[in-house]
Parts: sequence; structure tokens; C-alpha cells
Amino acid sequence: MKKSLVGLMSLTVVFLLAMVLSGCGEKEQADAPKKAVENVIKIGFPIPLTGDIPDVGESSKNAAEMILKQVNEAGGLEVGGVKYKLQFIYDDNESKAESAVAATTKLITVDEVLAIIGPQASKQAVPAGGVADNYKTPMISPWSTNPNATLNRPYVFRGCFLDPFQGPVAANFVTDEFGATKAAVLYDIASDYPKGLAEYFKKAFEELHGPGSVVAFETFTTKDVDFSAQLTNIIRANPDVLFVPQYYNEVPLIVKQAGALGWDKPIMGSDSWGSGDLMGLCGDDCKGHFFSTHYAAAGATGATKDFIEGYQAVYGKTPDDVAALTWDSVNIMLQAIKDTGGLTGNLANDREAVKNALGAVTNFDGITGEMTFTPDGDPIKCAVVVKIDDEGQFSFYESVCP
Amino acid sequence: MNLTFFFQNVVNALQWGSFYALIALGYSMVYSILMLFNFAHGDIFMVGTYIGFVLTTGLVALSAAGIVVLPNWLILVLTIVLAMLFTSCLGMLVERIGYRPLRGAPRASAAITGLMIGIILQTTVLSIMGAQRVLYPSLIPTTAYTVGGVSVTNIKIMIVFVSIALMIALHQFVQHSKWGMAMRAMAYDYAVVPLMGISINAIAALTFAIGSALAAVAGIMYGMAYPILDPSMGILFGWKSFVAAILGGRGSIMGACIAGFLIGFIEIFVATIFPSTLRDLIAYSIILFILVFRPHGLFGEPYSARLRL
Amino acid sequence: MHQTTSTASHPRGSLELVRRFFANVPLLAWFCGALVAVILERAVGLSMAQSLGMPRIPVLFGFLVFLKQPALIPGALGYVLLMNILPICITAKIGAPVFNLVSRILYKMPLVVTALVHLAVLYAVFHFWADVNAYRMIMLKMMLISILLTLSLNVINGYMGEFSCSHPGFMALGAYAASLFTVGLFVNDQLFGPAMMTSDYAVVFFPLGLFFTGLVSALGALVIAIPSFKTRGDYLAIISLAFTFIIKSVLENLEFLGGPRGLSGQPDWSSLPMVFIIVVFGVWVINNFVTSTMGKALNAVRDDEIAAEAMTVDTRKTKIIAFMFAAFWAGVAGGLFAHVLRFVNPSTFGIQKLAEVLAMVYFGGLNSVYGSIVGAVSISLLGEALRPLEILKWIIIPLLLILVMIFRPRGLISFKEFNIHNLLKPRG
Repeated sequence: MKKSLVGLMSLTVVFLLAMVLSGCGEKEQADAPKKAVENVIKIGFPIPLTGDIPDVGESSKNAAEMILKQVNEAGGLEVGGVKYKLQFIYDDNESKAESAVAATTKLITVDEVLAIIGPQASKQAVPAGGVADNYKTPMISPWSTNPNATLNRPYVFRGCFLDPFQGPVAANFVTDEFGATKAAVLYDIASDYPKGLAEYFKKAFEELHGPGSVVAFETFTTKDVDFSAQLTNIIRANPDVLFVPQYYNEVPLIVKQAGALGWDKPIMGSDSWGSGDLMGLCGDDCKGHFFSTHYAAAGATGATKDFIEGYQAVYGKTPDDVAALTWDSVNIMLQAIKDTGGLTGNLANDREAVKNALGAVTNFDGITGEMTFTPDGDPIKCAVVVKIDDEGQFSFYESVCP
Repeated sequence: MNLTFFFQNVVNALQWGSFYALIALGYSMVYSILMLFNFAHGDIFMVGTYIGFVLTTGLVALSAAGIVVLPNWLILVLTIVLAMLFTSCLGMLVERIGYRPLRGAPRASAAITGLMIGIILQTTVLSIMGAQRVLYPSLIPTTAYTVGGVSVTNIKIMIVFVSIALMIALHQFVQHSKWGMAMRAMAYDYAVVPLMGISINAIAALTFAIGSALAAVAGIMYGMAYPILDPSMGILFGWKSFVAAILGGRGSIMGACIAGFLIGFIEIFVATIFPSTLRDLIAYSIILFILVFRPHGLFGEPYSARLRL
Repeated sequence: MHQTTSTASHPRGSLELVRRFFANVPLLAWFCGALVAVILERAVGLSMAQSLGMPRIPVLFGFLVFLKQPALIPGALGYVLLMNILPICITAKIGAPVFNLVSRILYKMPLVVTALVHLAVLYAVFHFWADVNAYRMIMLKMMLISILLTLSLNVINGYMGEFSCSHPGFMALGAYAASLFTVGLFVNDQLFGPAMMTSDYAVVFFPLGLFFTGLVSALGALVIAIPSFKTRGDYLAIISLAFTFIIKSVLENLEFLGGPRGLSGQPDWSSLPMVFIIVVFGVWVINNFVTSTMGKALNAVRDDEIAAEAMTVDTRKTKIIAFMFAAFWAGVAGGLFAHVLRFVNPSTFGIQKLAEVLAMVYFGGLNSVYGSIVGAVSISLLGEALRPLEILKWIIIPLLLILVMIFRPRGLISFKEFNIHNLLKPRG
């Protein structure tokens, strides 16, 4: 009994101590945020460094690192007369939805970043966008085309154009250029970018040429490498043009297999073709085909040219669409931070200010075109159609604006 | 469905099925002898492909630099031989590290080890080769022939013939050589055979070596047919071949080959006849039904109490 | 009297000393010690962290700090010692007599009361710990859900001894059914139109919805349970794998569920108390299930089906019940999962998920409730703690699993009954 009395007393002491200390703690907590921000702006990148699409994560990181180096070597970012050093924090989302949520939450609440760039793929950007919006942190997903990523989320923006715009661009182009009246589509049903685009293309094309003018609408599943069954069907349906809204690493397989099965008509692609690696992987087979994208690498001028050359110099390869879009997204974010006119050091207020500034950005002159955000956080920007010419360059063919 | 169209799909399915069959063979051999799932096999296939890639690229570069000038066919043969050698070593290493210590353990534990070894192999390749896809250099220029409206390439013909030749060679080896006899005996009774003076470790290593060598050949041919490589390409391919190995019947080498081709045919023809959107749905439902009505696979022996998980 | 009697036969030096030192500490004291630690952290954690040179409280016992900012390691170590380890140990040891007294009183009461008191304290610990930071909160929820998932898979793979690959499929069924229930009825959504009911009674409706969700998954399990009468072992593994692929393919094709784009906009109903209560309830039910005669029947089917049949075990009934039961809880876990993420899509429930759950089950241990808890907690904690290592993480975690498999082929804690009486009893 005596023992337990001693124990009870010591416990009470511990509890009391905790109470007293908690009083001091609260006071310090109040002025903690001011100390925390010492002329550093932190931006978080929940990107897929491992998992299904590590190349996407690598490109994002490459582009971000270039900006980081540029800005910090120039002494930092000047916001309202104060120079801030940039700090980029990369977190692996393993290309999984749950990890993207965890990583984004960590960046926002543990690392206390001012803003988020990423995640790239929609299956991570949609849930992560929910987190960012919940914690009132501005986020730009450079690459996600799923409308749900930004829908009803004032804090979430995106860097790429949406399917309802790009689908018709492709449909109109094949109609005007090749006089196509019958088209075929081959896409990946398990991945939402190709699927969305394929459906909008079909809709637009059938509006032009009547129902049934898309004579073959064939699908496969992510990571498939053999498309012979689908291509055989497509060739049998005898369309005038094949639309392939796939990623640059699948395009060569599709183009080569189509050729081997006797396909000799044009193939139309989408902005996901736009990687310097495409020609390295595809060789001569891709020459003469077209795709819609953000910029034409061949004959690029100004900032676009500098970006491409700078990227090549550092990483030894031409940037892909992920790198270009990430580059623009980071720059828009930095622009918005500058536009706030000065940071208070209070994270919540600053995030709010950055969000407002992002919504107010008009005609931002990025390397992927001029951008203005709609109230939904989707950019309005022009598309260009490029031709892969005989030297394997992506040369400008025509420009289409919304 | 007209005849040309049908034969075109048969040709496509033969090529596609060859890969499943070759990989399924590796599963099936390990299976019949050690009675475990070698879940790392898909990734061994992936590593084999990358080894082939490095060798070919290296030899082509050497030729181009004029150091050792080799004709393309010799490069191909050298690549195949060396890749088989290296991949066999990898297979034996995996067996030594991952499976031998677990010989007495439940088979499911060995399966988990296999899965984990697979992840390690993927991660290692990813960190060495980088995240970008690589292009497998083409040694033989693709030529397409049209025979009565059916389009066939020289690569397709080569793949089908090499696979069938390898299967026949393997069959001969297992049926008519001393080592093959030892392997069959081991598959028949795992406990007694070591008493006959046959080393189970040697047989296990041999099995892994042969399975991995087949995977390496499959990998090189895969590189020629589908020349874009990435470190995670072995996962889905491995699991589907595993399905083929079991569908064929436990440990039946002929069963694995036939089931491999069967899955190739199912995938191609389902995508052709039905809307290709439903391919996985229908293909796997067919497999499910086959197993419901043939609970021991196509050529498997009835279940015995000894072979329990 | 002392807990050490069972382990005294193989003493391990200092570890054994520590164990003996804490031998008289009942579970309640550990829980209360943890409670003191988390309250202390909430109160003075930040100032303590700052005085140790860190900008903020290290959220994951310092792991993230160790890996990212080596300069702060001493600070983080000091913090973990001062804020986590010492308060727990001191409270537990000093308070042991008091808590033994309380434990003794509680022990005389019905088991339910005793268990509920312990759980209440545990919940308080979780609550205060997770309250410090939202990242801890999401991690904790995911961890709890994976406990339920792992345990339900253990019913099939451990207790019944089949190698089932169908859990991602069951989970997907649950996740979609629950999302359909909540999004369809309670949310203004573009797919399903305006809300039909108000969400005021989420506390009532959500568990109800999860119950139906579980039933949907259980029905799905019939696809595997019925073939399992004749098809066993590896062949059943393939059937279950095919099931996972089929479910994924069906979901990709169902346009009204969003197809590959997935379904988002689930209400935020997976709060910590909700997840905690449902998971604890699930663990309790599963524990009762596997220790009942039904559990023995499962073991009998695993060890020898023919002998079991001879001993009047209805093997068909056993298999159907086991599959449906496991699928039910996997579905519930899926429903909770969907509402924590507030997004589901088909590709989440693929081979990657399968590998993850299998790893948790076999790491923790077969045929053991303890094992599943240990497996789920350690794999999810490791997954988060090693995240800063990026690619290296995917070498370390598999290596660890291989080592566990080599040295303990049946998992860390296998074939161990979950003895609540023994766990909750006073120790002195």
C-alpha cells in the first residue's frame, strides 16, 4: 500500500509538471512560426521517383533542379524587396494513390512548404489535390488531365491543357490535312489520360463525319507490349488515319508493329509523344507522323530554346513534356509568389496570398505557351501541331488556340 | 472472320505465346523439382533482357569503333551465349541466397522471398540503368513478307522457331540425359532421391540455371520483337507466365508450353473477336473456368496430400 | 507470478535484465505511460524540439530526421529519449503499483469492461499522438486499416492454409461499394446527382454502409469459395489471382463508376475514432472467429482435408464461411481505405497491393492475430519512415523480409493465440 502511495504521488507530480509546462509551451507555440521562416521559401514535390513511372519523377526533378540552381545562384527570389533562398523538397509517391496522400500531407504539415508542385499522374493528383485543398495550400499538378483534380478545389491548379480541347484539335487536323473520313483509335484503357483523350477525339471526329466514322476503337492495358491483335483489327477496318494518344515509350512499339503488319497511312499523336527520347527509341519509323503538343522543339526561339539547350547541356537529353510542364508550373508558382508583393511569414496567410495571385496570373509567358487560369484552375493555352520531319526533328506545322 | 484475317491472328498469337511458353517453362521446372513458386522469375527474365542489351550495345560499339569487327550474326550469337551464361549465374545465386535456406520452410514463405528478390532486382536495375527506357539495338533489320495477305516478319519466324527448338531440346535433355533423369526422379520423390547419391543442391542449381538461361533467350528475343525496355517489364509478364505454368498442370513441362501458347491465343483472339476493352475480363474468366472444370490444370496429376502449401 | 518464467530458460543478458526490471508492469501501465508521453509531447514537445536545435517536433520518432538531416541526429535522439522513451518507462515503472491495483480491480470485473478501459486509454494515446500533426493522423489511419486487411488475409492464408491472391479484389469491391453508398446517397455529385440524404447521421450511416459493403465483398468471395471445393493449392492461387484481374478489368469498364479515372468526392467520414472502433471491433470478431470451433475446423482443413472430413468437419461449409468472412473484413477495410483517401481507382488494387498485403501477413506471422498486427504495423511504419531514402527503401525492406523469412520462415510471431486474459492481468 505504501508503495502504491509513493507511486500515486509521483504520478501526480508528473501530471502537474506536464500541466505547468504546457502553459509555457502554448505561449512559445504562438510565436514559433515567425522564427521558422528565415528567408527561405520551401516548395514540395510529391513525385513518382520509384514505382511504375520513375522516368516521370526523374524528369520533374531534373526540371525543378535547373530552376533551383538558376534562382539560388542569382541570390534567390526577390519578393517584396526581400531576397528568399529557394528550397525544394522532393518526396517519393511511389506512383501509388495512398503514398501520394501521405507524402503530400507530410510536405504540407511536417515540412511546412509554401506550395506544392505535383503529383504528376492523375491517380495521385486527384487524391493529393484533395489534401492540398483541405490544408489550403496552393498546388499545381503539371501533368494531370483528370478534371476531378481541380474541380471545386480553389487551391489546386494544373499546367497542361485538358482533353476536351486537345481531342478536337487532333480531329480537326486529321480532317483538314489528310481529308480523313474514317479514323481508328488505339489507346490504353487502364490509364486515364489516353482514355479521356481517345473519347474526346472520337466524339469530335464523329461530330464532323457522322456516327460510325471512327471505324475501330481498340484498347489495351498498361504495360502491354504486343498490339498485333488490335492493329490487325484496325488494318482490317481500313481507316484513313490512326490516332494514338499514348506515351512516348509505347509509341515506338505501336508504330513499329503497325508497320510490320502493313500499315502505311499517317498516325496522329498527342502531347505525350513530345519527348526527345521518342526519336531515340523509335528511329526512322516515326518520321512523317504528326502530333499535337505545347511547343515545337525544332526552330524554337527565346525561352523555349534556352530551356531545351540548358536541359540538354545538364542532363544530356532533350526534355520531355513532363519536364517542360514542370518547368512552367514551377515558374508560374514563383511568379505568383512574387506577385503577392511580400510574404508575412505566417504560413496560412502566405498560402492564401499565393493562391489568389495564382488565380490572377494572366498571359504568363511560359515555354509551353501563354497561360491564363480559368476559375477552375485549368490553363487556357494554345496547342501546336508538329510534324516529325526527315531529320527526326519536331518541326512546327500549325498552331491552334482555343 | 475471313481466312486471311484468321491466319494473321494465328501468326500474331504464335509469337506472343512463345514468350509466355518460354517463361512458363522456367516456372514449371523449378516447380516440379522444388515445389515452390519462383516469383523472381519474371524479374530474372527482365535482368536477362538487360544483360542482353548491355552485351549487344557493347559489342556493337566495339565493332563500330573498329576494335573487334564482328558481323551482326556473330554479335547475336555471342550475346545469346553470354547472356545465357550470366543469367544462369544470377539464377543460381538467387537459388543459393533466397531459396536454399528455405528448403524446409512452408512453400509460401519461399514465394514471399521470391517476390522480394524480384523487387530487389528491379530496384537494382533501375538504379544502374536509370529511369529512362532504353532501346534494344536491332541487329537484324526487320523484313516483312506478305504471304497470301498474311503479314509475317523474319523476327516473328525466328522467335517461333527458336522457341520451339528450345522446347524440344529441353524435352530431350529431361527425357534422355542422366541429369534429366535425376531431375525427373527428384520431381517424383524429393525425399528419397538424395539417398540415391544425387545431390539435391546440384539438381536445384541446375534447374535454376536452365530456367534462367531460357529466360535470357526469351529476353533477347523479346528485345528484338518489342525493343523498349524498362525495369518493371518483368512483373506483369512474370505473373501471366506463372498463370500459364500452373494452368498447364503442376510441373508438367509440356503442359507449361501448351498453356503458354494457349494464353497467347486467348489474349490475341479475345482482343480480336470481342471489344478489346474486355480482353482481361474475358481472358481471365476463361482461365478461371478452365481451372474450375480441370482442378489440376491441363496436364497436372491429381492433388496429393504431400504437395500441400 | 512473474511473466519472466517462460523466458527465463534462455536469458539474453541485458535484454533479460530489462525484461525482469519491467516484469511487474501491467499493460495498463504501459498504456498510461504512453498517454503521459503523448500529453507531455503535446504540451512541451515543440519547445523541447527547438531547444534541441530542431525546427519542429520530429513526427516519426526521429526517423525522417535521421535520414534527411544528419546534423540533427543527436537532437532527435535526445528528443526521442526525453519525450518518448523516458516518460513511458518512468511512468510505467513508478506507477506500476498503482496500476497493478487498478488492474486488479478491473480484472475482477467482466472482461468487456476491462478491455474497454484499456482500449479507451489506447485510443487516447492515439488521439493525442496523431493530434500533433496531420501526417501522423493519416499514417495511423492507414496503419489501422492495414491491420484489418492483414488479419483478414491471415484467416485464409494462415488459418486455412490456402494461398489466396484475391485480397486486392475483395478490397476493391469494398472500396467501390462503400464509395457508391456514400457518394451516391450523401454527396452532391456530377455522376449520381444531388444528395438524397443529409449527412448529419454519418456516425450511424457509415458503419451501416460498411456492413453492406462487407456483404458485397462476401458475395464476391463466392466466385473463389465454390471452386475451392475441388481446386486447391496452387491452382486455387491462380483462380484467386484471376479474380483480382477480373475485378480490376470490370471496374475499368464500368463507366458509371468512373472507369479508370476512378471515383472521388467521398465524404470525410473515416475519422480516427471511426477507424479505430471499426478496426478494433473487426480484430475482436476475427479473434473470436479463429479461436472458436470454426477456427479449429479451418486448421483441420489446412492440415489434412480428408482427415477433417472424416472427423465430421463439413469442409465445404468451412471453406465458404472462411472465404466470405475474410472477404467481408477485407471489404470493410477497403471501404475505410476509400474514405481515408477520398478517392478510389481500379489500378490501386493490382499486383502491387497484393505484394504489400502478402508481405505484411508473412512478415508478421501465419496463424496468429498478434503476428498480423505486428506485420501490418511494422511494414507500414517502415514504409513511411524510410520514405526519404527513395529508391534505397526498395532494397532495404525486401532484404529485411528475406532475412525474416530465412530465420523465421513462418513469420515473426506465428501460431500464437491472442490471449486477452493473460494480456490484461495485473503483474504483481
